[in-house]
Amino acid sequence: MNATSYYLTTLLVYLGVDILAVWALNLQYGVSGVYNFAFIVFQAVGAYTAGVVTLGSPSQNGGFQHYILGWHLPYPLPVIAGGLVAGALSVPVGLVALRKLRTDYQAMVMLVLSVIATLVVENVTGLFNGPAGLSLIPQPLTNGVASSSLNYQWLYVGITAAICGVVYIFVHRVTSSPLGRALRATRDNEAAAEALGKDVFRLRLFIFVFGNAIAGVSGAVLVQFIGAWSPGSWLYVETLVVLTAIIVGGTGNNAGVMLGALLVPLAFNEATRYLPTIGRPGLIDALQWIVIGLLGLVFLWFWPRGIIPERRRRFARQAARTGDAPRAGEPQLADPVV
Amino acid sequence: MTTTLREDAPSAGAGGASALLHVQDLRRDFGGVWAVDGASFAVARGAITSLIGPNGAGKSTVVGIVGGAIRPSSGQVIFDDEDITSLPPHACARRGLVRTYQLSSEFAKLTVLENLLVAAPDQRGESLATLVFGKRHWREQEERAVIRARTLLERFGMGEKEDEYAGNLSGGQKRLVEIMRGLMAEPKLLLLDEPMAGVNPTLAREIEGYLAQLAGEGLTMLLVEHELEVVERLSQAVVVMALGRVIATGTMAELRSRPEVLNAYLAG
Repeated sequence: MNATSYYLTTLLVYLGVDILAVWALNLQYGVSGVYNFAFIVFQAVGAYTAGVVTLGSPSQNGGFQHYILGWHLPYPLPVIAGGLVAGALSVPVGLVALRKLRTDYQAMVMLVLSVIATLVVENVTGLFNGPAGLSLIPQPLTNGVASSSLNYQWLYVGITAAICGVVYIFVHRVTSSPLGRALRATRDNEAAAEALGKDVFRLRLFIFVFGNAIAGVSGAVLVQFIGAWSPGSWLYVETLVVLTAIIVGGTGNNAGVMLGALLVPLAFNEATRYLPTIGRPGLIDALQWIVIGLLGLVFLWFWPRGIIPERRRRFARQAARTGDAPRAGEPQLADPVV
Repeated sequence: MTTTLREDAPSAGAGGASALLHVQDLRRDFGGVWAVDGASFAVARGAITSLIGPNGAGKSTVVGIVGGAIRPSSGQVIFDDEDITSLPPHACARRGLVRTYQLSSEFAKLTVLENLLVAAPDQRGESLATLVFGKRHWREQEERAVIRARTLLERFGMGEKEDEYAGNLSGGQKRLVEIMRGLMAEPKLLLLDEPMAGVNPTLAREIEGYLAQLAGEGLTMLLVEHELEVVERLSQAVVVMALGRVIATGTMAELRSRPEVLNAYLAG
């Protein structure tokens, strides 16, 4: 029973992290048409940042790890720091990649950035302990509760859910507002949006920074749960898993991509654990990447809008909140009703 | 060489105090070929000025430069007494110079109503304050914009289509959406690049009627159009371009008798 509960709570935390990730990338790719193939880098930035501002001095534990900062900030500052640093690093990247380049070239730049970032972190060992990565990252809010206990597992599920709730408020404020509409317009026709007064570059830079800050938060939440982070955790193909989740769930739809997060990174990955071993060891894992790629292609080909497609925004004609007819000269309410 | 056929033409020509737009000696080359080679004209306030010319005359390049999408090699664009040469398109639009495109440019996955709402100027809901304050920051302004958009939709006979995805409309309906979208942006000058191209004759006549109405209400328009009968019916002044230059300006009736115009365009 305990083992099942541990497994369940672990899955729920991973689901929360994946949901944060798909919301963030959906804002960029699904809502705004920004092809951020370096998404996983910013999740990693958040994870490393949260790690090095939680771990304390590198000299502890025999000094076997080498990393920058070595602070010991109280919770939830490491999570906030993860988001802020990921967002801040997005600014110079966005200034270079989003200003002049067409979206297909943006995608190439991001992919290259993702590969370079992994190489830098692996080779500059003083940053985040090189290929071995960070470990023994303390879990937050453990006062009086053993971090290995089931109660703590559920506490962390609660923390993750609360963070998801707060992030959703901001995500929803973007997607349901005229800001989200302007972003969708730039996605559909960049030149026409520009000709109607939209500063497409600034809009894209904003969503790039905002989405990557959420990615950073998701990395911070994950690293404080699992206690370790290394270059193997954020290979460039991980971005494709998040992207596939969005395509499967429903590009541009916050609820749809949540479903995608449940189906692709979580359910699909977990289901393969129960497959019987066939062929050489590791074959199933290797096939997993291929199948995720094929899943994305199949959906793009036959079901491009995903399982829960982007919503059609309709506007109410009547004063829906009060039920009263608007008085003469008074504007009618115009909430999107779906 | 520019030939001004009528000194008192309401637009075009050398412009004058009433001109909203002055294009002065614009030049633009692409790989050594001068697409625009010293074009000058003006657009008077409150009337339709048409820009005509054979294919390759440089009309689209001029439109691109005026709208901010193309940088000129030299020359100036003065709009409402401000030099807007080389300003980006969004900055031109925010000053009231709004353009439509030769090819359909709807926001396909937005509804018709949303297409119009995107164009509403100075939207509070597009600022970052939306993240902090949420809907209360922009709700009232949005309500007013929706009412304005619906008024436009009714006027253009598209009220029933407000919830339809713009990408599902017919070619002619997309043109109407673009014009309405342009109007929603509260333009001082509406730059229409072949608004009737590829539209069936009935709807083209309908669009022509709307443009005449808008001109009657005092909206300034610069119209790029190939149908000379339409140009004649709508325009108070016409600018003729050929080989990157303005070769004549005046009314359509006057231009029909000019040999250089006939040679460059009308006979061809």
